[in-house]
Amino acid sequence: MSAISEAAKTAEVIEEHHEHHEQSFWRTYIFSTDHKVIGIQYGFCGLAFLFFGFCLIATMRWSMAYEGQPVPFVGPLIEALLGNSVAPGGVMSAELYNVFGAMHGTIMVFMGIVPAAFAAFGNYVVPLQIGAVDMAFPRLNMASFWSFFLGCVIMTVSFFIPGGAAQAGWTSYSPLASVIPTDGQTYWLIGMIMLITSSLLGAVNFIVTIINLRAPGMTWLRLPFFVWAQFVTAFLLLLAFPPLEAAGIMQLMDRVIETSFFLPTGLVVGGQDVDVSGGGSPLLWQHLFWFLAHPEVYVLVLPGMGIVAEIIANNTRKPIWGYKYLVGSVVVLGFLAFIVWAHHMYMTGMGTVISAFFQTTTLIISIPSIIILTCLFISLWGGSIRFNTPMLFALAFLPMFGIGGLTGLPLGFNFSDVALHDSYYVIAHFHYVVAPGTIFAIFAGVYYWFPKMTGRIMNEFLGRVHFWGSLIFMNLIFMPMFAQGMAGMSRRMSDGGATYSLANPDNADITVGALGDTIMGLNVSISAAAWAMLIAQLPFIFNLFWSVKHGEKVKSDNPWQATTLEWETPTPPPHGNFTKEIKVYRDPYEYSVPGAKEDFTPQAQPAK
Amino acid sequence: MEIPYTVKPRPDTGLYNAKLGIWLFLASEVMLFGALFSSYVLLRVGAEPGTWSMGLMDIYVGAGNTMVLIASSMFVVLAWAQLKQGNLAGYKKWKWATIACAVLFLMVKWSYEWPSKFAHYDVWLNDAKVLHEKFEKGYHETASHIEPGGAAHDNTDAHDGDVEKYIEGIYTTRFFKESSVTSEDEFKKAWENGTLALSGHINSYEEAQIDFSITRWKADFGVSRADATKVLAKFSEDKADKLLQDGGELYEKTDYDTAKLAEYELGQAGFTVALSVAGYETIKKHPWMWGTKRVNEDIGGKPRVKSLVFGLDETQHHQEITLDVGDIKRLSAYEPKHSTFFGIYYTITGLHALHVFGGILIMLYNMLPVGLALWHKDREQYTNRIETFGLFWHFVDLVWIFLFPILYIL
Ligand code: HEM
Ligand SMILES: [Cu+2]
Repeated sequence: MSAISEAAKTAEVIEEHHEHHEQSFWRTYIFSTDHKVIGIQYGFCGLAFLFFGFCLIATMRWSMAYEGQPVPFVGPLIEALLGNSVAPGGVMSAELYNVFGAMHGTIMVFMGIVPAAFAAFGNYVVPLQIGAVDMAFPRLNMASFWSFFLGCVIMTVSFFIPGGAAQAGWTSYSPLASVIPTDGQTYWLIGMIMLITSSLLGAVNFIVTIINLRAPGMTWLRLPFFVWAQFVTAFLLLLAFPPLEAAGIMQLMDRVIETSFFLPTGLVVGGQDVDVSGGGSPLLWQHLFWFLAHPEVYVLVLPGMGIVAEIIANNTRKPIWGYKYLVGSVVVLGFLAFIVWAHHMYMTGMGTVISAFFQTTTLIISIPSIIILTCLFISLWGGSIRFNTPMLFALAFLPMFGIGGLTGLPLGFNFSDVALHDSYYVIAHFHYVVAPGTIFAIFAGVYYWFPKMTGRIMNEFLGRVHFWGSLIFMNLIFMPMFAQGMAGMSRRMSDGGATYSLANPDNADITVGALGDTIMGLNVSISAAAWAMLIAQLPFIFNLFWSVKHGEKVKSDNPWQATTLEWETPTPPPHGNFTKEIKVYRDPYEYSVPGAKEDFTPQAQPAK
Repeated sequence: MEIPYTVKPRPDTGLYNAKLGIWLFLASEVMLFGALFSSYVLLRVGAEPGTWSMGLMDIYVGAGNTMVLIASSMFVVLAWAQLKQGNLAGYKKWKWATIACAVLFLMVKWSYEWPSKFAHYDVWLNDAKVLHEKFEKGYHETASHIEPGGAAHDNTDAHDGDVEKYIEGIYTTRFFKESSVTSEDEFKKAWENGTLALSGHINSYEEAQIDFSITRWKADFGVSRADATKVLAKFSEDKADKLLQDGGELYEKTDYDTAKLAEYELGQAGFTVALSVAGYETIKKHPWMWGTKRVNEDIGGKPRVKSLVFGLDETQHHQEITLDVGDIKRLSAYEPKHSTFFGIYYTITGLHALHVFGGILIMLYNMLPVGLALWHKDREQYTNRIETFGLFWHFVDLVWIFLFPILYIL
């Protein structure tokens, strides 16, 4: 008899013994307090919104490549849903482009990556990996999810109100965001306040769980790196989000009760004096926003690094190289993340002293990131690598994140940032970090932990198709953007820069600085790659749902032969997770220990 | 399934879960209020001279409320101490005392401090000359009798009925606290450019009476004739058919709300209407939170309010002057949109008050049978709960202790 059915049976027996009351469907799957159910809820919402956000940009890419022409397939749909004024005849208006652009950023960051990478994997995996029965505050956990959900509903509904959703970019800079007459920004702010509340509740819960609910023997330096990454991420959320909440409240007041927190004296909009007191500071918004948003980029990437570290250790069959450096680096990163924010604001005319300070901190913070990446690269050395789908994605993460990180350095110096700021170079840079970076890590994590969640393995062939398609098209999308940005193409332009192109007759006498045909031509190839990328996701979506029922069944509770505690549970883990007493005896990645019977020694295996 | 360390502290960390949780929560609260305090600093540093109304707050009320909160913080500890000794009755006694303090604190804000500001106005005028006339008219008598702004700054010249000097005294107390070279320069500029405001209460005003007529009905608007008639019948039962056919007067000398409602609903049904001001009636009221748009809204070429009778601050018997709305550039009550000072003042104190209010709800919950059930089930856990609440309450108190000096004193 296989180990799995045995364990599952024990689990059932225990279940029957402990849970005399039948939990209703609603309590078990919808309003659940079980960290695993909540994790899956987050994961489902997160992936769905990632897809939705991607569809938004896929539509926008049409406008950039073929401005003024009706969007094929979805154009009529958009016109029917959102009204004839925003998409006349299926053509994307500039306002709609702005709406989609702002919401692409917002959705991807706050409703896609954070829930998927931090909340979903964090909820599902962290308690298992530290040997806990659940999160420390299960009901708070549920409240956190539902607050998130409500925020998502508000954001989604805002597409359909008159004037549409927010248009001022995901950064929502004031005064623009304060004076746009449509209500989208107000919805955005209220939605953000819900999302922030959710993150704060979640962060408290994660930190308490990790500090207080570690199983006996699970000392700090025996924690899997993923747990460390989540721990630091939770602190970033806890401390960086409140200032944005404060800023959100103030911008909301600017919009609703006409205060002037971010509105300067003498503001003129559309040729008219605005009837407000003035005296406010647009820079204040930028400071508060980036005080969150820089740490936020680490929120986006640290969980991904954690996932990748787990998978690399498991598939190289050797301990992570430099575990302690990883831990040290991630902690240092967490601290430094709070003192670099103004590198996003070099263009605001800050003085040289302040600018020098932020340039210095920015370069210092690149050191721990490089250490982490280097450790992960070195970990590959001499491993007998198993190239399964999760490992492929994890491996691709390393160079992709590397490109993203290295191209960030020119943005950290103000002299080069002056030229690159707000151009497609920036878009390419941070997308390399989050798209082939974090998103690949998320994919890797889904393929890796799917067997624990469902008892089945996702189809390997489809996984490979998904991987190669994603890798190729990702690069075809973002690599050319570096060139466009360096040629001077600005972001947030619904015509893809046509106004500033050589092809535009108005620019006939411009010889320097106008965008040449090659650069403009890249718009078409990038867009084509983006649509191909969309198609490359179909095998994944199919695989995800199909494998739940039809995937190959796992042969044991530990199909990857991993060392960490989540694999000590029955599959899928029951309410309460473990069916045996959990004690930790060793470090997280004891692979290929000389003299051991097998090439992995689980953390829970007692010393002889 | 039982989650460990919900009641007993974990030996190596020395904390039970909820206590750790509340500390973390408070850390995020520190960042929240910290961001608002930083905003306060940035706005204040960036404020143009003569816009930061730091001298307007009633320090005595604020100080009283500070005492009330400090007392409540003490009571909350006493309550917990009683509970620790297993004395539920003693706990309840101190807890009620805490709640009483919290309620008193909010009542002072809610029924005294804020409302009195909402009915208090600053009015800026378009023309410096008109402003000087108004000052002269409103303050001449007072300036010849008493000293401005109390004893803080004795402008000996003020006794001679020099209005400018008298106003300077008020200005200096409000925006600079103390007279200095800067304050004198700034006042001079503001006086000459006419950017000073008149402060006081609206005692009465002349409000428009509106004639309302229907010009025509657009048959091609997309609303059927029958439906349009039905809508019109809501406003005029007997004449609906005729009005739809020929147009004509619907209301004579009606009030603004009636007219606007009819304008909106009839507009939706395809009618073009015309509003005009037939006359003004004097209304004796102290309106709250009016803005410029409330008074100078255009109705058929005339403003909604014609003039205000304005009772001036710092005068004997609230000396009244009449302000023509046409002369008014901006009008604002002491509400958030008045200035960045009031914006941040209401934001910080409002958020703090929300915390106090939330605290009251939690305390009440803990005192009700539902909350007390835990006491009967697990005394230690209930006591823990009260302890963590106490930490929260101290924090709320602490925020006020920072907030009071920066908003009321500095
Ligand atoms: C492969 C999928 C993706 C593609 C093709 C894509 C493409 C783009 C493009 C072309 C823009 C620039 C739009 C403009 O400036 O007009 C953009 C903006 C942005 N994207 Fe993505 N993106 C993808 C995934 C992501 C992900 C995963 C994130 C997660 C953080 C993200 C976050 C953002 C943000 C924050 C902006 C800035 C929005 C703004 O200007 O306010 N994107 N994306
Ligand atoms: Cu940054």
